[in-house]
Amino acid sequence: MIPRSRSPSRSPSRSHSHSPFPLFVISLLFCLLVPHASFAQSKPSIQVQVDQDTVGVGDVVHMQMTVTSSEAMPSDAQPGPAPGFVVHSPSSMPSQTHFNINGNQMDRFTLTVDWPLQAQKTGTFTLGPPTVVVGNTRFAPSGGITVRVLPAGQAPRHAQPQQPGGVDPFGLGFSPFDPWKQMFPGSQPGDPLGGQPSPTISSDPRLQLDSPRGNFYFIHATVDKTTAVVGEQIILSIYEYTDESLARVAIEASDAHEPQLADFSRRSLLKDDDRGIMAGTVSIGGRLWEVVLAHRWAIFPLRAGDLTIGAMSETLARPRAVSGAVRSTETLRLHVTEPPVAGRPPGYAIGDVGHFAVETQVTPRDVEQDAAVAVHVEVAGTGNVPPTIATPARDGVEWLTPEVHEQLAPIGHDTFGGKRTFDYVVRLHRSGDVDLGDITLPFWDPQKAAYDIARSPIGVVHVRPTSTGGVPGASPSGKGAQEALPDLPAQRDILENTRTSPRTHLDDSPLPWLLGIGFWPLAFGGVVAGGAAGRRLANAWRGRRASPAAELDRRVAAARSACSGDDPRAADAATARALEAAALARGGVSIRGAVGDEVLDRLVGAGVTRESAQRLAELLRSCESARFSPTAADVAAARDRWREAQRAIRELRRA
Amino acid sequence: VRVVRLPWTRRLALAAAALLLATLFSSGARAADATASGDDTAQLFAAATTELHQGRPTEAIASFEALADRGLVDPVASYDRGLAYAQRVRIGAEVPGDLGRAAHGFEEARALSSDSALVDDATRALTVVRSEVARRRIRAGQPVEVDPGRSLARAVAGLVPEDAWFFVAAAASATFGVGLFVRRVGRGRRLRVGAGVAAGVAVPVLAVSIVMTLASRHDRLYLREAVVVSPGARPSSDQGIAQPGASPLAEGARVELLDSRGGWTRVRFGSLETWLDASTLRPIVRLD
Repeated sequence: MIPRSRSPSRSPSRSHSHSPFPLFVISLLFCLLVPHASFAQSKPSIQVQVDQDTVGVGDVVHMQMTVTSSEAMPSDAQPGPAPGFVVHSPSSMPSQTHFNINGNQMDRFTLTVDWPLQAQKTGTFTLGPPTVVVGNTRFAPSGGITVRVLPAGQAPRHAQPQQPGGVDPFGLGFSPFDPWKQMFPGSQPGDPLGGQPSPTISSDPRLQLDSPRGNFYFIHATVDKTTAVVGEQIILSIYEYTDESLARVAIEASDAHEPQLADFSRRSLLKDDDRGIMAGTVSIGGRLWEVVLAHRWAIFPLRAGDLTIGAMSETLARPRAVSGAVRSTETLRLHVTEPPVAGRPPGYAIGDVGHFAVETQVTPRDVEQDAAVAVHVEVAGTGNVPPTIATPARDGVEWLTPEVHEQLAPIGHDTFGGKRTFDYVVRLHRSGDVDLGDITLPFWDPQKAAYDIARSPIGVVHVRPTSTGGVPGASPSGKGAQEALPDLPAQRDILENTRTSPRTHLDDSPLPWLLGIGFWPLAFGGVVAGGAAGRRLANAWRGRRASPAAELDRRVAAARSACSGDDPRAADAATARALEAAALARGGVSIRGAVGDEVLDRLVGAGVTRESAQRLAELLRSCESARFSPTAADVAAARDRWREAQRAIRELRRA
Repeated sequence: VRVVRLPWTRRLALAAAALLLATLFSSGARAADATASGDDTAQLFAAATTELHQGRPTEAIASFEALADRGLVDPVASYDRGLAYAQRVRIGAEVPGDLGRAAHGFEEARALSSDSALVDDATRALTVVRSEVARRRIRAGQPVEVDPGRSLARAVAGLVPEDAWFFVAAAASATFGVGLFVRRVGRGRRLRVGAGVAAGVAVPVLAVSIVMTLASRHDRLYLREAVVVSPGARPSSDQGIAQPGASPLAEGARVELLDSRGGWTRVRFGSLETWLDASTLRPIVRLD
């Protein structure tokens, strides 16, 4: 369990950073531990930064310049123009480091100068650029540093300088000169028990909430943007809200969980990530809450997609009323994409996002064949400073694995950056003037929403043939390497460019299958089946033409035709033949040649009703009588008989 | 203010003219964009080949990869990219994964190209790269198998292009149909016997060529392959836990992609089916 006293004990943790003694110790340690970060070179490396980019009138901002040179100790550092600020006396720390690589003696001279600048009026001002003399030349970095000055008291809160007597040169967290001081609450200025003036309500919208997320104490997470590209800095802030009337809050240390950031790399933007800083006091839900910025992280997305920042959770141990209660932050979601493909420069690596500059130094520039030179590459800037760089590969030039050092830290309040240095030992196996090429670093600048390229030429190194008689231009040590991958075919210089879209294939459509493959078997099958079907059809047709029904139809048509003429005998003959055909078609019995009652018997025997049969027999008899009568027959009577016959035929059908 | 009301016919004509102008402008802008993009690609390719000629493989690789990022799918670009990676290995400036990426470029060139000379060159370069991988694995005491080859059916299907199989099937079908017809209607005995034999031979040819056509089509539509581009492609379980005692798959090996989950991909390499870290694989791009 970690007891956390209220804000005054957690906020002023950054106060030691501006005292000159720790700065000196840190710089000294840096110079001792990182001695080979750069090598001698005519052009010095200059780094300038300020500790705050937004201050209030009367506040002091520190501008620090670090100059590294291999020629001579930098001197006569000048802060340059500082409109709106009063420049106080600077502190400077020179250091010197000596190297020996492959028998090459090298020195590095470093000068660090810190100028305290006190803001005098509001506005946005450009400081510097500061200048420094190395050798006989005065150097300056490109561009100054912009600082915004707000009215007094309106600037974001920063760690205040340590009170007199509170110096902690060893970073122990207490003063060796007064170790008992912090053990008695109320004994320090600003301690709540020591009688503090009533707090000022903050109007910072980032701290405002519609309602409290818990009683007595809760935590709240925000991000500065919800869409970004892979590698772009996103600021994740975790705020702790404590009820102002509460005397003491304690968190279960064993049950505190940081947010899940599996898809991000995380760097703290606070100098001491374990101790928050006061952000202000706000009124939420009718109560006053003291807000502490517990964490402020620069997080860098590692991949594209809809990424989630999991909730951070803490379990309260005190006050007892809410002991065991869990407080957690919101789960945040971010939409992360890759930078656009359009305009992407060759060599761009996904994740290289920010604003960078590259500097290179080579020492020496005149060596013997198979000897080595030191190449110092420094990548500096803000954002996701690349962990690796691509070195130009050349035949006969062997780049060994570099030593990498980094000085990455928050820059101002909301930017992470610094520099990474890569110290290579490069062996030169080929004699002559060897051009080592350029170091290029393409990156995506989110401020400009455009790609940019940081470039630094490494330059030419003169390689003398070995004293044992090397051949100019030869690379004897490279010979072994050349044995790998022998007999590779030649490259090609013209794109084939035959297609830009997927090729269509014959078998993608059903039509070629039908016409090309299915047609012939189908055609043969069609011929065979068609022949058989034709034969069957012909037989059926023939049979249909000889059927009694067809005969009946023909006889009916003939009778109708005959009745429309003037020959009564022909009409009666046709009517009689129609009746005979009807008997055969409908009754299934032939009455041709039958005489007298034989017609009736045949029809009844075939299943025709007696009434219908009798009627048909009478009609047939009357037709025969009229047909063979010696007197002239009447056409009208013949037509009447035909009408009767038609009715009889219809009834016969019904029967 | 006097408002002049135009007749509806004139208003219609004006609207049509405005629409036509807008269409012409947008199509002109699109054409200009396409031309600019094409010019940009050509310039980048020219720069890449120049860098490769000048023995600057790192710069050439960056340019060729930028072309790939921009969506250029061309066998020559893939082939030259493979050569750039191989050149970096050759001059002793190798970066881990260069051999695999070289093999990938050559495999992609073979898959994309219809130029037999380029296919031959890519095949030869691939053999050189895989020989180097095999040599290194022998030194490291690892299994030497770099290319397990393809299954028999797939190898037979790959003997000729998919369209060629289709044409064979069509010819066999025609032979079969005509043979049967002649056998049925032919007069001479010899003619009928010959037609019957031709039809009988055409049947198995037709069956095999149809199967091969369908197999080639299936591979074209559904087969996805990749090349191992890392020397540390260690076979793992579906939980991402490395299989104990299993050697990493050979760099430059061609594998079949079966499934993908999270950052892991299930692959088939010969008879082995396993999961690999997706970052150790680079898919072979195919236009089909």
